[in-house]
Amino acid sequence: MRYAIRLSDVTKRFGNHAAVSELNFDVPQGTICGLIGPNGSGKTTCLRMIMGILHPDVGSVSLLGATPDDVRRKRVGYLPEERGVYRKMTCTEFLTFLAEIRGVSRTEGWKRSHDWLERLGLGGWADRRIEVLSKGMQQKVQFIGTVIHEPELLILDEPFSGLDPLNQDVLEEIIRDFHSKGTTILLSTHLMDQAERICERVCLISNARKVLDADLKELKAKERTGVVVVRFEGSDQWLEGPEIDCIHESNGELHLILKDGADHQSILKRGLESGVKIYRFDLVEPRLHEIFVRHAGTESVGDAGMPKNVTLELQ
Amino acid sequence: MSVNVWAVIRREYLQRVRSKWFVISTLGGPLLILLLMVVPAYFLVRGGQAEQKLAIVDGSNVLYERIAPYLVNEGLEVEEERWYPDVVTSLRKEATEGDLWGFIVLDELTLDTGEAIVYVTTRPSPIRQLTLQSAITRAVMEYQLERLGVDAEALLSGGDLSLELLSEERTSTEEPQFWVAYLGAFFLYMVILFYADSVMRATLEEKTSRIVEVIISSMEPWHLMLGKILGVGAVGLTQLLVWIVSGFLIVAGGIPLLVSLSPGLIPVETLLPALPGIGMVTLFVCLFIFGFFMYSGLHAAVGAMCNTDQEAQQVRLPMVMLLVIPIAMVSVVIMQPMTAMSTWLSLFPLFSPFLIWARVVSGGIPAWQIGLSFLLMLFTVLAIAWVAGRIYKVGILMAGKRPTLPELWRWVKEA
Repeated sequence: MRYAIRLSDVTKRFGNHAAVSELNFDVPQGTICGLIGPNGSGKTTCLRMIMGILHPDVGSVSLLGATPDDVRRKRVGYLPEERGVYRKMTCTEFLTFLAEIRGVSRTEGWKRSHDWLERLGLGGWADRRIEVLSKGMQQKVQFIGTVIHEPELLILDEPFSGLDPLNQDVLEEIIRDFHSKGTTILLSTHLMDQAERICERVCLISNARKVLDADLKELKAKERTGVVVVRFEGSDQWLEGPEIDCIHESNGELHLILKDGADHQSILKRGLESGVKIYRFDLVEPRLHEIFVRHAGTESVGDAGMPKNVTLELQ
Repeated sequence: MSVNVWAVIRREYLQRVRSKWFVISTLGGPLLILLLMVVPAYFLVRGGQAEQKLAIVDGSNVLYERIAPYLVNEGLEVEEERWYPDVVTSLRKEATEGDLWGFIVLDELTLDTGEAIVYVTTRPSPIRQLTLQSAITRAVMEYQLERLGVDAEALLSGGDLSLELLSEERTSTEEPQFWVAYLGAFFLYMVILFYADSVMRATLEEKTSRIVEVIISSMEPWHLMLGKILGVGAVGLTQLLVWIVSGFLIVAGGIPLLVSLSPGLIPVETLLPALPGIGMVTLFVCLFIFGFFMYSGLHAAVGAMCNTDQEAQQVRLPMVMLLVIPIAMVSVVIMQPMTAMSTWLSLFPLFSPFLIWARVVSGGIPAWQIGLSFLLMLFTVLAIAWVAGRIYKVGILMAGKRPTLPELWRWVKEA
């Protein structure tokens, strides 16, 4: 398999604080990969190192098989988390400028800007100054700026934040579109559901360390037996048993996370015997959220409070 | 130069040249100069006309012919009045009716003492009083000297002192030249600092608006800084050239106009040679370019290491304070351009743009020192670019606390 991005043993410290610690992870070419973790877990630092904006203290980053500096300028599109614009420029001027500094000719950049603005419903704003655009519109312009040079690798830091649901869908569709054309995409998000919907691969990080890095389908298949969703009326005594690792609540239902190899039938049997009214007892595909909580919880030994924090942040 | 540097230069240049302030200040500058030249001249001319007519009653019969040409030369209209018993009364009447500004009564006594009575309707300016006084004394002296058989004219015009310079130094600077040197140095100071400050603001703005992360992911920080400086510099140069060209047009068209309005009022002979020629304009532009590169590099680094405008102004303060020295010393350097102090101050690269100008205009600098100062400035530009580039590279992506000096040094070493 060819990799668009490879991080080997990367560590980055700011003073005494390790922002990224011994991170190894690969993004195969042509995939959509999600870098997932709560706020402050090191996602942005990681992406900045990939972009060559920050340099790792230890370890190496390689992009499209070469060292970052040579390739990234023309073949990579980067949407940072904190996005700026030149407020006094018009949309087309700004986008043409961004195309130009990445080696696209001015005429071509001008044409593409118009096409993209049209496609995202901003055709009428092409020659207006960016400062008069709404925040959401500016964000669209910023996204166009990221892809205007038709990069083969897209790195998007929290691309959905600040967009309304409608525009989130538009963006999601565009991302899928790029994927179908063979573009490799790495996006960071703290929204598990979104990542679960879009990504083929996920890399979960927490407290600067990688928790999990896998193909999402394989991961779910492997963890298939893991989660039971229940809704019931009555005492919850029947839920105390050796099979259950932990429980958390979501939308008035309980998600029982089972220990490896545990048998869900015995729980159901105990429930029926205890006489509570059971409305739902459903063995489900584990949600990414649960997988994350489980792994982050068991792998970050010596940090007892962490899983709880993570759950809070993620919901 | 790589394509993206050109893109940055073009962006910076077009954005600025199209802005309102640029158009206003570029066109407003020459208009202001025009106003400053024309308005006072206009009032001078008008004012002169109002108090122009002066009658002279010459009881001595020898002074009028000597006084009249002198006063005419000073812009007064003069008429001779014969002496008769009631002359004072009738002239007084004429003056109060507004036909005369005033009149002078000269008599035999004037020939001995120089005393005379001047009747005027409005108080003359001190300069005009002096003119009248000297006209009379001069005429009297001329008359008395001629009676003794002395060539009064040659003597009174002060003889002729021919100066033979033994060194390149000029002993004194004439007034128009002093002003060209002084205002030129001051103007360079303002323009250089203004545009360097623009570089700092632009850097700061890119940093605070976060656009810089997108740009830096697409190009070398060093290229961005270079493009920015060259772009802003080109704007400054454009403005300067517009000013210079329109200044020449104003002077070329304006001075003859003023001269025709009031012959004798403006000493054209002394003004014209003092105006800078092509060589001086080239020097001026070169000094601007070198000065701008030095100061804009420093300002770019300051902008990159700070997070707010206030912070940047604070960091910039020592630099601005340092510049008080050349500005305070300009007039001294112009008066004594060859002293050791003037030489050393003007050769210090950060002061050179202002003080070299002052010394060149006042004529007190050997050619090799001009060459040396440009060489020193060139090295300084390169050194500043090297250091500032490194500070810029690290600083532009830093948020939070401003770096301390040891931290800055580490940035420079590590970048």
